[in-house]
Amino acid sequence: MTSMAHDLSFLIPEILVLLTGAGTLVCEMLRRPRTALAVAVAGLLLATALTLPLLGVDTSVFSGTFRIDTLSIWAKLILLPATVLSLLLARAELHGGDREGTVYSLLCFTTFGALVLAGSGDTMFLVLGVLLSGLGAFALVAYPRNDAATEAAMKFFVFASVTGGVMIFGLTYWFGATGSTLLGDLGGLDKAPLAAAVGLIAVIVGLGYKASLVPFHFWAPDAYEGAPLSVAAYLSVVPKIGAIFALVQVVRDLPVSGGWPFLLAVVSVLTMTFGYLAALVQDNVVRLLAYSSIAQAGYFLLGVVAVGVSPLALPALIVFAAAYAAMNLGAFSVTLRTGRTLDAFAGLGRGNPVVGVAMVLFLLSLTGIPPLAGFVGKFLLFGAAIDAHFTWLTVVAILNSVLSLAVYLRIVVPMYRRRSEAAAPMPTHLPWNRAVWVVALIATLAIGLGAQALIGRLA
Amino acid sequence: MSLVALAVLAPLAAAAGIPVLRRAPALLALLGAGAGLVAGLGLLTRVSAGLHPVLILPGLPGMPLRLVGTPLTALLSLLVAVVGALVLIYAVGYMKRDDEKVRFFATMSFFIAAMQTLVLAGDWILLLAAWELIGLSSYLLIGFWYRRPGVASAATRAFLYTRTADLGLYAAVFLLIGTTGSSEIAVTLHSGGGASVAVGLLLLAAAMGKSAQTPLHDWLQRAMAGPTPVSALLHSATLVAAGAILLIRTAPLLPPDALLAIGIVGGITTVVTGLIALAEKDLKRLLAASTSSQYGLMLVAVGAGVPKAALLLLIAHAVIKSSLFLGAGVFQHSRHSTRLTDLHGAGRDRPWIFAGFTLAALALAGIPPLSGFFAKDAVIAASLASSNARLLAPLALAGTLLTGAYMARALRILWRGKRLDRRVAGLRWMGAGLAGLVIPAVVLGAAFPFIETLLATPVPETTLARVFGLSAALGGLTLGWFIPGRRLLGPLLPWAQRGFAIAGGVDAWIVRPALALARGCERLERTLYAGVMAGGRLGLAIARAVRRSDDQGIDGLIASLVRGTINLGNRARALQSGLIHRELAMTVAGTALLLAALLAGVLVFP
Repeated sequence: MTSMAHDLSFLIPEILVLLTGAGTLVCEMLRRPRTALAVAVAGLLLATALTLPLLGVDTSVFSGTFRIDTLSIWAKLILLPATVLSLLLARAELHGGDREGTVYSLLCFTTFGALVLAGSGDTMFLVLGVLLSGLGAFALVAYPRNDAATEAAMKFFVFASVTGGVMIFGLTYWFGATGSTLLGDLGGLDKAPLAAAVGLIAVIVGLGYKASLVPFHFWAPDAYEGAPLSVAAYLSVVPKIGAIFALVQVVRDLPVSGGWPFLLAVVSVLTMTFGYLAALVQDNVVRLLAYSSIAQAGYFLLGVVAVGVSPLALPALIVFAAAYAAMNLGAFSVTLRTGRTLDAFAGLGRGNPVVGVAMVLFLLSLTGIPPLAGFVGKFLLFGAAIDAHFTWLTVVAILNSVLSLAVYLRIVVPMYRRRSEAAAPMPTHLPWNRAVWVVALIATLAIGLGAQALIGRLA
Repeated sequence: MSLVALAVLAPLAAAAGIPVLRRAPALLALLGAGAGLVAGLGLLTRVSAGLHPVLILPGLPGMPLRLVGTPLTALLSLLVAVVGALVLIYAVGYMKRDDEKVRFFATMSFFIAAMQTLVLAGDWILLLAAWELIGLSSYLLIGFWYRRPGVASAATRAFLYTRTADLGLYAAVFLLIGTTGSSEIAVTLHSGGGASVAVGLLLLAAAMGKSAQTPLHDWLQRAMAGPTPVSALLHSATLVAAGAILLIRTAPLLPPDALLAIGIVGGITTVVTGLIALAEKDLKRLLAASTSSQYGLMLVAVGAGVPKAALLLLIAHAVIKSSLFLGAGVFQHSRHSTRLTDLHGAGRDRPWIFAGFTLAALALAGIPPLSGFFAKDAVIAASLASSNARLLAPLALAGTLLTGAYMARALRILWRGKRLDRRVAGLRWMGAGLAGLVIPAVVLGAAFPFIETLLATPVPETTLARVFGLSAALGGLTLGWFIPGRRLLGPLLPWAQRGFAIAGGVDAWIVRPALALARGCERLERTLYAGVMAGGRLGLAIARAVRRSDDQGIDGLIASLVRGTINLGNRARALQSGLIHRELAMTVAGTALLLAALLAGVLVFP
């Protein structure tokens, strides 16, 4: 019993997230969407604060099935604030709607799923996390109740079912080979290379769908376009980072002889290249950002392939995750206030210089221009990959960064053209939206400048 | 940060920030001017406490750039800051309806920063740089409404006149640095030597250009084409003042011969431009002529060997003249004209503004206890005490008399006539700026003893000078009020109306040669261009041949790379068919591929 209480004391943030989701739902039942928002924001911020004392802990609970380690603690510190920003974006976009509060509670539950993924120490937790973070997400995408959203949600659901089924199927091989569902026992796969390969592919399929890695990404652009913009922003950040961290939890216990680093490097190249190539020809900013977020997932894999080999890998992943959350949410927030097409961005930099500068900084950060957050993250990732003898992968990633500049300049260039007469008028006041991009901008700059010190210490 | 640097950097930061942010330009300019004002005040208190802050920046080897805080520079810096800030307040109202506020306030802030650099400069190189920056920013401001007819040519004229005279400053500075080996102003001032007469005359030439002294006075009147706040700033504490400030700062260096030349030039200017002011048909041009005339009086004081008297008049004139211009700007908005014939009775439209204008006009004429009286008094006393009193004193008194006469003329025209009540936009801001300047114009005389102790040189004052000065001022006012200007001038009228035809003459020496030179250069350029073109065509022919091979080579490669990338992108997009069965099939295919790769890896490289 004391051990149970001990375990639960480490899980206070997760429990609080769950309670917050439930409380938010109660508020929505009482028809108090504003209270629901307040409860959700306060609960998640409190959970973030309660995570801070855990920093430095490295243990696991419930007989090793859930891990409280650097990765899962930082996942909370990054994903909970990112969810708070997504809540505010949702408020900005959907306020006054009839089911506003359900969005807040679904966001909380989905984040809970992402946290379960990021801390999983057992294959069953992987399955649980994928399901938890998936169910809420389908409902979120379907929120607008129109054809596009329904189709997107349906597609999202079918994809999830297929990939989820494949993952569970593959995991049974691992269970068969090792006799355990614990990730910690995966070392036993040494003796069963075929079972190891099938299971690995299955995990890559299951988590790759969640992180939108190529070729499991097909749902993403449609879902982002059909869903409310705030939900798209959320999906591109929180479940994705959760899935990437879960992948790290898996591969750090896998024997290297299984060949997984090479396999992930191939997926990384496919993802980066395909994402940016497709982004290059989009006219819709939401789809452009969707493909950009696919490509960015490829960069995450640079850190994943170095796990266990380079000491840089974990810090690189964490810094890049924080940077990615800030700059991507910022870019979506500016898109929310400006419009979904490239034409809507025409003249933004002249008409509204502060927003224009903020958007340029987000996009440059996504490209990886110093001294912004994205640069620091990518710099560390490249370092980790080179450490792990994946120099060729780093070269491909750098070439893709060049391509990404062309992608992001497609938004920047019209921003500094003169605004044409026919352009649509700016949308009306969106509550909280400004707060979101201002916070994201501060975070982008702070991570960029603050992490220079970190690089200095590591170098 | 040192206060000297802040005085320069605050308006400079505003000038840089306004075009970047493109928002709230007036607010930013006011913030910059306000910070500069605080710095000026702080600097003056420091200096009066006996400190001499110096900021040394690396410049040419062995000749660092310096900003110095001495009693003189601190006083001038505060003057620039005060007038600059109040004129900007006024400009908030004056420019309310203008679309190009960003450009206006940025250039104004830049102008103030340049002038602060000039007055605080402790070495010749920085002073030269500031001198040029002032020329540039005044060119930009005079030409602010460049689309209106005649404005661009007025700006060009102002630029050419002052630039030509600037050559004198360059030559003087080279001589000074060459003979003393130091670029520090304080060091060069105490060197003396044979070069001094030449240096003095060259400095005089530079000052004549900037301070619009006869025969180079014409550009100043034409410079009225700029917005009124620009005129107010230009005429009081900045551009025009630069010439007088140069002479006041270098006065210890100048030998008696050079001083005499300065005094004579000043004396002639004060009379000639005073007469022009009497004949003017436009209020702003009248005030412009009056500016030349007052700077003439300052040069008389410098020539009489009492530069501190000139400084007092400079300070008093700065606040008085800017108030006069600000008042004139209100009348201009109220009647949409500055022609005196249109302004009959404009004073009655806005009695409060007219009251301020009148106080400033009386102060300029030298009526006690207004500030102008004390300053004029010092100048006349200086001219009487000078060894060349017989030459300088009558000129100074004539200048004073004329000041009274043309100011009375202006007042009479503004007061006599029908009242037309038209709304004026931004009156509140304009009134605030005007009030802020009229108050010192009235009471500044009380501060003169403090300034004299600060500068540690008492200014001469005699009862004789007071009697002479006061009677000249009163006589001038009476004459001007009761007798129309054209009758006063008598046979001189047509001459005065044409600016004594001097402008035409000067045009012949300066503007036309400069423009002819420019055209000659253009022609030369065209000839050269034709030659180069001929050569270029040959080169082009070769280049084209090379390019043709390149097109198929490197360029073709790059173009095909780009085309290929975009094609790939289109193909990538085509994969996204939206048909879920097809997409899932691709997912399965991808999975199979990965599995195959992995199995191959496991089986082939166990």
